[in-house]
Amino acid sequence: MNVRDIRIRGVGAVSSAGWSAAAMHEAVLAGTPLPSAPVVRPGDVRTWPCESRFAPASPPEKIARHPRLRRSSAITRYSVAAALEALADAGHDPAAPPSGLGILFVMMNGCVNYTGRFFHEVLQNPAQASPLIFPETVFNAPASHVASFLGVDGAVSTLLGSPNSIMEALDTAAFWISSGLVEQCMLIAAEECDWLSAEGLTYYHPKLTASEGAGALLLSASGDGPRVSEMIGPLAYLSWQERCDLLPELASQTLAHLQGPATLINDRTGIHKLDHAEIAAWSGRPWDTVLSPKYVLGESMGASSALQLVLGTLAARQTQQPVVISMPGTNTAAYACVLTP
Amino acid sequence: MPFPLPQSIAITGAGIVSPLGRGWQANEQSLAADRTAFKPVELFDTREFISKTAGVVDLPTENLFQRIPAHKQVYFDRGTRMLLMAIREALAQAGREDMEGIDAMVIGTSAGAMSLGESYFEHARHDAGRDPAQLSRAEHYQPQRQMSSIATEFGWRGPVIIVSNACASGANAIGWGAEMIRSGRAKRVLAGGYDALARLVFAGFDTLHALAPSGIPRPFDAQRDGLALGEGAAVMLLEAEDVRQSAALGNVAGYATATDLHHLTQPDPAGKAAIRTMTAACAQAGVTPAQIGYINSHGTGTPFNDAAEAAAIAAWAGDAVATIPVSSTKSSMGHLLGGAGAVEAVICLMALQGQWLPASLNVREVDPAVRFDLVRQFRRSTLDYALTNSFGFGGTNATLVLQRRSA
Repeated sequence: MNVRDIRIRGVGAVSSAGWSAAAMHEAVLAGTPLPSAPVVRPGDVRTWPCESRFAPASPPEKIARHPRLRRSSAITRYSVAAALEALADAGHDPAAPPSGLGILFVMMNGCVNYTGRFFHEVLQNPAQASPLIFPETVFNAPASHVASFLGVDGAVSTLLGSPNSIMEALDTAAFWISSGLVEQCMLIAAEECDWLSAEGLTYYHPKLTASEGAGALLLSASGDGPRVSEMIGPLAYLSWQERCDLLPELASQTLAHLQGPATLINDRTGIHKLDHAEIAAWSGRPWDTVLSPKYVLGESMGASSALQLVLGTLAARQTQQPVVISMPGTNTAAYACVLTP
Repeated sequence: MPFPLPQSIAITGAGIVSPLGRGWQANEQSLAADRTAFKPVELFDTREFISKTAGVVDLPTENLFQRIPAHKQVYFDRGTRMLLMAIREALAQAGREDMEGIDAMVIGTSAGAMSLGESYFEHARHDAGRDPAQLSRAEHYQPQRQMSSIATEFGWRGPVIIVSNACASGANAIGWGAEMIRSGRAKRVLAGGYDALARLVFAGFDTLHALAPSGIPRPFDAQRDGLALGEGAAVMLLEAEDVRQSAALGNVAGYATATDLHHLTQPDPAGKAAIRTMTAACAQAGVTPAQIGYINSHGTGTPFNDAAEAAAIAAWAGDAVATIPVSSTKSSMGHLLGGAGAVEAVICLMALQGQWLPASLNVREVDPAVRFDLVRQFRRSTLDYALTNSFGFGGTNATLVLQRRSA
């Protein structure tokens, strides 16, 4: 069994568009960038613009109650909400998750709010830094909280990497399922935004707007749902120029598997300098629809490719056409995949 | 939970950098001499911390990255440099100069390039204006960027999977690497883990009062009072038998992982998840507890961990418990966090190769919960299988079973 035999049974999302996959789908279909707001720099005035598209406050019905979630940060709350939505979308009772469930969690920045807060306390006075906060700074804290919430005591792992590391996780999930380690796998990629990460993005480009959220996909070898019929990559690169040079190859390999009308979900940010190579690479064929979630939602870093996959799943269900997802990545490798209804 | 596919995976190269030394030989000599490696931390200010010492790696001063300009070396984290050294040793041991033919790297880390993140934070806090150097700090803080630099050093372009399961990261990375080969998804995988000392992490363990005030960890001592932190890296070159080109040093015979849901930072007192991983890893390896000739325990030296692990080993081993030699090499080098599982797996491999057992040092009075054979001095032995446990924050447990191999 490989990734082609895996079905995406259910999806869930939290994004700057709201606390559901449907809200994200609707916003991205509308195609207009969501409003952004200046990011406050604590105790200081920034001398350059820095904006973010934060996720809105949680609606009351999305607040999950559990002892582990009392002091967990936004990334965990987004992840739990997305996972519960994915379970419900797959027809499971979220209050009684299926047995044999595993969790693969992907992130790039992780628990930045608590990490920044804890390190600030350390710099101020290490002897008074909070012991409650430190454990929440660890990369795998969100995965641990989600596992505790769902009662998953088997395979639970966290991967770090570029936004498109979700594809490595997808491949791993297929292996976990095929080997019998798990029956179903919850794939979650999430990120929370703070002033430090929002500023960090502006160093890549002044107009890059930070965002946050979580995408969750419930994967299984059986049942209904779109499948990842082709996975192209990793095409590794060691520089931005190499990245630009290999994107035509990424597109060419992907399009070889495609016939008939299809939807493209790309990585476009709306900033020509960052986008032009990708747009050129995929311009060789007509597309029924082209969706650009980052342009609408903002740059949600580790969560962004998961949000693309969630969106792709919804698009495949709705159009009954193949969906191509372009994930050129930022600093290590490029991926693409084809979702088939 | 077990990975159910039976097939041993050959280890054809191993590299290790630890506070006890750089390389296999230096570590073996230190372990044979029952040496400890704790010294005052000078990487950051420890005056306000309860503990002021750790297992610190003595890194060489010369540029380790030969293909990257000297002025960019400042952006390579200590942990990445240790990992590069370990990779070079593993490749050399397998008779290789490069990474050609290696299908994937699977690397575990708990903190990544944390020191660069700290530097980014401090510059952001102090400078209201734009500082162009922040781009490099933000970029190189990302562990995948650090791994990309290692790939550049070898001109290698393959997938890099970075596992971050806290203190079980390194063991999980080796387990995953082995399973990638077992399942046929790869033929050769470079797998291991690393972490370097960082101020934020040191402060974190200090706030939890998890560090031994004396700076001396005493795993399985009745009056143990905490762990010591350390840093290091280790990797193994894992190969499928049908492509193996050099002598095998040993096998990865079994691996299992499970999640302890008891608490974010404290283990279940009965060690239930540990029992499951030890049982499943041995089942995959096809061995009974009585056949395990050595356990390199997680053995941090904290009251909770050691009690839970001792209980788990007793429950898992049953009647065989008294005959199973166990030690914690964290007693000599500290807790290497994301690097611990990989370093301790390589130590198991060294023990299998050399037919010896490393010691649990600094024990004054053995904890009454200990029912196994606690190895308190380096000793010669005869063993065919060694088991190593790794338990992490968040409840990730991992067990590896390694097998001796003569050729």
